[in-house]
Amino acid sequence: MTQNRNKLIELFIGNISNSIAHEVLERAVIKDFMADKYRKELIVSMDLAKKYREKINPLNEPLPEKDINYIKNKIINRVKSELNLRISKGYKNIDLSITEELVLKALSKLNIS
Amino acid sequence: MNQIYIPKNRFGFETGNYVIIKPLEEKKPTENLFFYGIKEIEPIKIEIIKEIIRIVDNNIKEYQNIIFTGSFLDKGFTFNDIDLIIITEEEKNYSSIKEEAYNKFGIKADILSLSNSSLSKGLETDPLYQIMLSKSISKNRIFYKTKNKINYKLLDLHLLKSKVLIENFNLLKGNEKYNLVRNMIAIYLYLEGKKLTKDLVDNQIKEDFHLKDISELKQNSIDKKKFLIKYKLIYNKTFSKILEGIKNDAKQKQVN
Repeated sequence: MTQNRNKLIELFIGNISNSIAHEVLERAVIKDFMADKYRKELIVSMDLAKKYREKINPLNEPLPEKDINYIKNKIINRVKSELNLRISKGYKNIDLSITEELVLKALSKLNIS
Repeated sequence: MNQIYIPKNRFGFETGNYVIIKPLEEKKPTENLFFYGIKEIEPIKIEIIKEIIRIVDNNIKEYQNIIFTGSFLDKGFTFNDIDLIIITEEEKNYSSIKEEAYNKFGIKADILSLSNSSLSKGLETDPLYQIMLSKSISKNRIFYKTKNKINYKLLDLHLLKSKVLIENFNLLKGNEKYNLVRNMIAIYLYLEGKKLTKDLVDNQIKEDFHLKDISELKQNSIDKKKFLIKYKLIYNKTFSKILEGIKNDAKQKQVN
């Protein structure tokens, strides 16, 4: 991996992690959360992750197994760390068990795996 | 020069007669508009607003209000589109309104529809909704008297969106940066119990990031290093307040 590619992968990981943490938290407040229409103008992490994905080779096929494992594990750790911070403060209803499933879904959607 | 054709064999309209040309469809006069937080606005924008209201009226039968908001109402002509919210209980397809508005003015209309209860709920819990209505023009008077209901978990969710700026400074455009900063500062001020207005938030951004004008941020002409130091500081401070709130809420629930 070149330095530039490594940097792009890290940025990709950061954005996907943020997006998945957001999704898990959204499910935790589903009763109070309404269709967030007015906030649609805010750029979201998933859009940024897509932009980074478009710069990571190979573009049109999944990444090598080694990269997939690295990316997957790092995202899961980052999401869980972000969520555990909240759980430690007494935040209830956060379902950590869905993290891996959401990560795999996102990686497949963005043609990482 | 444009031409109008009339039948050769006709009753009246003798050659040389003076006539009036007017459209068959009479323009309905638009009633007075209601202004919120607007000190001045270019007359042409008022005409555009009135015309868009006419277009909406011709396309939708039942709605409670139309609210114009966003950068279109700011001084000057640097806006990208016209943001309008149609208050209605029924969500519809607005493509014909958008198309007609675009054909008429060459400006994209970004239409959002909200029910009365969604808007009311948004105003209670979401700082951005308060900013949105603080500078707006509406067809009918806006009657929402709501109290801030601090829901720390929702604010946590909203604040998380602004986190992307920290890692993605180079990739983001000026307007995207502005939206993310505004979101964070609005949440911060909301937690301080402030009544939010667009000007209050913009002034706070200028003060915090030492900007002469908010356009410096929108045009992406800010010093990355200095900006990010301050941004992270405010982000962490706001996040800590939210976590503290979540913690206190959890304790309160245990007591109850």
